[in-house]
Amino acid sequence: MKKIKLSIEGMHCSSCAGNVEKSIGKIPGVGNVSVSLMTKKGFVDADEKVSEEELRKAVARAGYRVTKIE
Amino acid sequence: MDEDFEIINWRNKLIGAWIFTIPIAIIMFSERLFRMSIFPEEFMTPAILILGFPVIFIFGWQTIRGGARGFYTFYFNMDSLIALGTVIAYISGILSFYNFVDDYSGIGSMIMSIFITGKYIETKARGKATQEIRKLLEFGAKKALIIKGKDEIEIEIKDLKIGDIMIVKPGEKIPTDGIVIKGGSAVDESMITGESLAIEKTVKSPVIGATINQDGILYVKATKIGNDTFLSHIIQLVEETQSTKVPIQRLADKITNIFVPAILIISLLSFFGWWFFTKDINKSIEIFIAVLVIACPCSLGLAVPIALTVGSGMGAKRGILIRKGEAIQTMKEIKIIAFDKTGTITKGKPEVTDIYSKVKQDYLLEIAGSLEKLSEHQIAKAIIKRAGLKKYKEVKNFKILRGRGVEGNIGKKKIVIGNTFLIKEKQISLRGFEEKINLFESEGKTTMIIAENGKTLGIIAVADVIKDEAKKVINYLNWIGYKTAMITGDNERTAKVIAKHSGIEEVVANVLPEDKVKKIKELQNRGMVAFVGDGINDAPALKQANVSIAMGTGTDIAIEAGDIVLVSGSLVGVAQAIILSKATFRKIKQNLFWAFAYNVIAIPLAVAGLLHPIIAEIAMALSSITVVTNANLLRKVK
Repeated sequence: MKKIKLSIEGMHCSSCAGNVEKSIGKIPGVGNVSVSLMTKKGFVDADEKVSEEELRKAVARAGYRVTKIE
Repeated sequence: MDEDFEIINWRNKLIGAWIFTIPIAIIMFSERLFRMSIFPEEFMTPAILILGFPVIFIFGWQTIRGGARGFYTFYFNMDSLIALGTVIAYISGILSFYNFVDDYSGIGSMIMSIFITGKYIETKARGKATQEIRKLLEFGAKKALIIKGKDEIEIEIKDLKIGDIMIVKPGEKIPTDGIVIKGGSAVDESMITGESLAIEKTVKSPVIGATINQDGILYVKATKIGNDTFLSHIIQLVEETQSTKVPIQRLADKITNIFVPAILIISLLSFFGWWFFTKDINKSIEIFIAVLVIACPCSLGLAVPIALTVGSGMGAKRGILIRKGEAIQTMKEIKIIAFDKTGTITKGKPEVTDIYSKVKQDYLLEIAGSLEKLSEHQIAKAIIKRAGLKKYKEVKNFKILRGRGVEGNIGKKKIVIGNTFLIKEKQISLRGFEEKINLFESEGKTTMIIAENGKTLGIIAVADVIKDEAKKVINYLNWIGYKTAMITGDNERTAKVIAKHSGIEEVVANVLPEDKVKKIKELQNRGMVAFVGDGINDAPALKQANVSIAMGTGTDIAIEAGDIVLVSGSLVGVAQAIILSKATFRKIKQNLFWAFAYNVIAIPLAVAGLLHPIIAEIAMALSSITVVTNANLLRKVK
């Protein structure tokens, strides 16, 4: 398991944060996801095999953009 | 900054939208209220459509686009509702040319403008909620003055490397974490620890980046840079906390996630229901729009996170790091607060408490200090500190007698310092001192006896003293209804003395480190337990407690150990953390109540056709503003 911190752009309401959580949660190998509208950050617990690309795509699928992955 | 950009963005849209919406409002209301037409009737709808176009499709474009996305990705959000409501309203204007329906396009523009206004206010208030953490980010120094060869040069903070020697002048910020290698000064660490008193720093003292040097010049060797510094750790921690969930939030989150699709369905049902029963297409459209725009997932979804953000930010400012949202909720169930003794209730370092001497006290301290200087023992350090000698006497034949004391020669005099056991072993008489020794020991103090040439000169009592603020804090906690307990490995007598002086109600003494968990479990049979410890030796006990509060001691804090971490070692933080948690949780409950109540009342009213779409939109904007503003009111708590 690794802990990933995402900076996400474009979220402006709480259903946005919920959408991102749902979308990321669908990636196989992702455990706990917590996205905050307040800090515009998402914290993801994921398997080693989950790639940055998959995370970016999941966020884009919900309609938002990842600006930074740590 | 990102947040500021967002605020400016909404503000620009707000100005643009209202420039076009105000004329629309004048046209509409002059006609409705005064039966006075500025234009001939047939020009009215085209005028409103032309004026309304930029409002909805230019200034509201982001909302329309974001909302429309929801309809093909099925990730609906707030925008989907507003987009649908305003676009339908606009289309009704076009259709009204053919006399199908009434013209609601003006209302659509107004809804968009009010929505944008609400968002602007909400974004601003959200920015305010995160102000503490943003201030933390700005705390860091921008530049550093370092020694390079023989020169002093100023460099950008990002170019600083580990091992660089930084020069910190009075009044300046210490650029990064490091160790003092030359100089001495008082440093104001309040922005990090919440501790208002300046801390004395001398050679070898660790210093924290972003704290302010007050009066002397410090030469500091950088030990940590960039993301590894203490300040960065605190910022990361607070950010993480603000993304954690409070258990009470679960229901609100579940509702938020299905909220938009549910409202879409409810609004469609209302539309068809009204149409079916009344055959009034205009009323049906009005209700359809009203239901779409009144529903507010934002107030629901923001209720908890915003209060948590304000609460954790306020804590961070005072050196209280709340690591888990859950702790805030559990805190209100806590009945017993258990403290570790050493380093938590007490200072953790022995200090000289009493000196009883048959010779001059200065002389006693001089010989004691000179001998103990050669020892590394904790008690020796306390004596050296108390003696505060500038010059030490030369000691010959120095010997450490393990577990008993030390001996050595100063000039022609043979000095022995040790416990009663050692003194008796050396067959030195304690006559005239027994009473004092018994008294000190009954107070839980360790007594060191100083003898010269086989004759006792005096005694020095050493004890791990109670922190200055302990009594006040513990009495307060008792007063507001908590049961306080202390868990310690000390013997019953010493522990009881400490408990008596600090106001602790219950003592659990003679506890081996590995049994602390068991003792906490026992306490838990009587109610939820919060445990306060140092986080290094107490990690398992902290884990067992319902809420764990780990005390820091300056630079190295065991951040992982506690649900709540106190940066400074002051017990005042314990009381503050409890007050803050409770206040934050109260806000969370209030916010959830308002958000639920609002939606539960407003949606049926809209479905029943009792709310005009514009009133509905104003109510929606107000509901999320209320929640955000209410959270910011948490700052009133001291």
